[in-house]
Amino acid sequence: MKDGGEIISEYVVETRKLTKEFEVSIGMLKARAKIRAVDEVSFGIKEGEQIALVGESGCGKSTLGRLLLGLLKPSSGQVLYKGRDIWHISRKEFEEFRRNAQIIPQNPYDALNPAKKLSAALIPQILRHKMARGRDEARKIALDLLERVGLSPPEDFIERYPSRLSGGQMQRVVIARAISVKPQFVVADEAVSMLDASLRVEILDMLHKIGEELRTTFLLITHDLGVARYFARNGKIAIMYLGDIVEVGETEETIRNPLHPYTKALLAAIPVPDPKIARERKIIPLKSIDVPSLLKPISGCKFHTRCPYATGDCEKIKPELRLISNRWVACHSP
Amino acid sequence: MVQVKEVLIRALRKSVYDPLKIILRSKRGAVGFAIVLFFALMATVGSLIVRYDPSTVNLSEALQPPSLKHPLGTDWFGRDILAMLIIGSQDVLFVSFVAALITTSVATFMGIISGYMGGKADSILVGVTDIVLTIPGFPLLIVIASILRTSNPVLLAAILSITAWAPLSRAIRAQTLTLRERGFIEMAKCLGMPSIHIITNEILPNIMPYIIINGIFAFTGAIYAQVGLFMLGLAPYKSQNWGVMLNLSVNYAGAVFSIKQASLLAPAICIILLQIGLVFLSGSLEEVFNPRLRSG
Amino acid sequence: MRWIVKRVITILTTFYIAITLTFFLIRLMPGNPIDVMINQYMQQGMSMEQARMMVSSLYQIDFSKPAWEQYIEYLQLIFRGNLGISYTYTGVPVIRIISYALPWTVFLLSISISLSFMLGIVLGMFAAYRRNKKSDHAITLFSTITNAIPNYVLALIFLFFFACIWKIFPIRGTRDPRIPPGFTLEFISNIFYHATLPILSFFITTVGSWILQMRGATISVLGEDYIRVAEARGLRGRRIMFSYVGRNAIIPLFTRLAIAIGYMFSGSVLIENIFTYAGIGYYLTYSVTARDYPLMQGCFLITTLAIILSNFIADLLYGFLDPRVRIER
Repeated sequence: MKDGGEIISEYVVETRKLTKEFEVSIGMLKARAKIRAVDEVSFGIKEGEQIALVGESGCGKSTLGRLLLGLLKPSSGQVLYKGRDIWHISRKEFEEFRRNAQIIPQNPYDALNPAKKLSAALIPQILRHKMARGRDEARKIALDLLERVGLSPPEDFIERYPSRLSGGQMQRVVIARAISVKPQFVVADEAVSMLDASLRVEILDMLHKIGEELRTTFLLITHDLGVARYFARNGKIAIMYLGDIVEVGETEETIRNPLHPYTKALLAAIPVPDPKIARERKIIPLKSIDVPSLLKPISGCKFHTRCPYATGDCEKIKPELRLISNRWVACHSP
Repeated sequence: MVQVKEVLIRALRKSVYDPLKIILRSKRGAVGFAIVLFFALMATVGSLIVRYDPSTVNLSEALQPPSLKHPLGTDWFGRDILAMLIIGSQDVLFVSFVAALITTSVATFMGIISGYMGGKADSILVGVTDIVLTIPGFPLLIVIASILRTSNPVLLAAILSITAWAPLSRAIRAQTLTLRERGFIEMAKCLGMPSIHIITNEILPNIMPYIIINGIFAFTGAIYAQVGLFMLGLAPYKSQNWGVMLNLSVNYAGAVFSIKQASLLAPAICIILLQIGLVFLSGSLEEVFNPRLRSG
Repeated sequence: MRWIVKRVITILTTFYIAITLTFFLIRLMPGNPIDVMINQYMQQGMSMEQARMMVSSLYQIDFSKPAWEQYIEYLQLIFRGNLGISYTYTGVPVIRIISYALPWTVFLLSISISLSFMLGIVLGMFAAYRRNKKSDHAITLFSTITNAIPNYVLALIFLFFFACIWKIFPIRGTRDPRIPPGFTLEFISNIFYHATLPILSFFITTVGSWILQMRGATISVLGEDYIRVAEARGLRGRRIMFSYVGRNAIIPLFTRLAIAIGYMFSGSVLIENIFTYAGIGYYLTYSVTARDYPLMQGCFLITTLAIILSNFIADLLYGFLDPRVRIER
């Protein structure tokens, strides 16, 4: 992953200095303030990769996900699909991109139209993108999809309304919906956060399988390191903090040997059931528990206010992502 | 062929039979339905049982109390009240119904487009709606109706809706705005579905219940406005129109002195019953659409 | 402070829009009233020039000038409070008729709204506390039914029975003209005597709406956690009911007050007609039937402005009462 240079990109999706700002009015005087949800992020995903994007609430990961899908327009910077800036291509090319970039929203209860049967969640887009020659064929494809996500027999389900499904079943349908157009890239925004723990493994496994079978690239956004670790066990994990990506690397390696102070703190904070291991863990002494507000711009490295290893430079200069032995870290002294 | 019949039966069951069961289960629903049905029948087939011509003036029989010959008595000019009532119902119901249709359609169109599109189109539409909202409905109505004297029922219906659509449009816009943020809409956009599809297939079905229930209120509002308009004597005269019957009663109130003349108020009672029936029915429909409200 | 200024600017803008709309309303109608009046005068034997001058003097605008200039003249007149001269009440300025009529309507409406609002919120809360018991069902049923009744139809029924047949109340008028106006008991009781039936018509048909709204608002407030905390803290039931539940439940109702006011003005057009009650609604109807267009324009404009003003006051009231808005100020 680098910033700029390559014309033929090895990445299926890439961002270059991507920034997204939101305007908010705060306080009694309704003063306008800008919040940088995503701050000059340069980052790329290769074809077929399974990546987990991890961060605490408010770090900008959902925003980044939507920027990657073209659902939000960047304030500055670029979003590239197969090397082309999606906001500067022809309408036809954008439609092609559209078909190939899908989202699995966070709340499965919200991701299906309650007033329509499941068939309406699958068939229209198949017809729209001319992936079938008629309603009958489209319906067959839809039945196939339901089968693939584990809803069997599919004929039973396709005429149902979402209200007659359980949470887990709904999420399966949502996944079926997302892959119905055979996309190359899928962003799953907290796809399992609202499900019971017992279902999570099943759904994550299914996403894995689909990724392998269809050669689909998955980006799983989550705040749960355990989920990230499981899903991206053969892939990469990216850590995000207040709008910056601070570390990216192979999942197991990164978790076993974190380089960025924030990643270390994050990992150290995970409760471990075995007291013996817990006692042996290193405690990262953070300077403060409070996450600074995005309303006041922070100079230099965003983490410097809490980082126990912060030096003078950290306050002044913002560290870029550097490659250090197969790991990308944004730190002056990892 | 058998399949088509099956689909038809299933559709009827879903849209008529099942809701009806729920409506009739509650007392209010049953009463409301009965009343509305009664008036619907009155307007459609009632004219078959009318014995007298409602416009024939017969002063010698003026102001008779209810009798076997005239079940509701006669009015100031000797016309049979029951006949006038039945024939008049056609006018009242038809014009008000069309007005409600126009009001609801315009409001839905403006509200959804405005709410979904956002941006400049939204600002303009909201501005227009706000301006229309500041104009007092009924006063404007009488000003326009008096200048545009028309007996054309459809035109009259259009005039009746001239300001009525604005509050509903605002409400529908608000509903659309919340719906727009839902996950399935986001997915639909991602899947590349065009705005038309999203508006008609994803958004509209979800606010349909709201539209239908408010459609009924648009209907009651139109009845109120229409009868009121005729009662003030501002629309072309049609002797059997309920509002005109009331108009006469108002003008000749000085000549009312006995309770035996009470049958002159028959149209008033009808209007009240009809409104109550519609309100009960709409309340019951809410139960149909929102299973959580059902008591049974 | 800024918040009030914003509100004032909004209301002034709305005033302006209403005034402009009224100007165009009269002129853009098919069957342009001005031309109609000119024709009427001509039919009485005047020449086109004379007719036009007559109509000009009624509206106080020179119609030979281009439309744009007419508009400016119109605005200037409004600003000075000149609404033209009545066609049927020869020589009488429209503003004089309105200044006589408007107070009666305001009298009628303010009493009606106050009564129905106050009783409505009391009964609404009462019903909410006794939710699903017999008394609640009775109150809700009563409210639903009375709310459905068109106010003018009820007014007619009252007229028939209480005024014409049983002769308990007067058939028409705002007062007995034989009693001289003043702060005497005789005069005041007389106006209320004449206003009883109209007020009753309004009251009965609107109280239901407030009851249902208050009931709904109270029920949702009762379900809130902070009420449970208050109860757990051991606060007395009555204190909770007024300071916590009541105050919070009322807040959404104030926003609907504005809509109610507009509806009442519309209703007064009809009710004043039934009781021949000389308020602005009555004169609006009268001017329309009598084709007294200057008077009609004036009545329409003032009614619109009155509604806008009432909404403004309701909005201010809401702003003072809702602490969330207060803090924002």
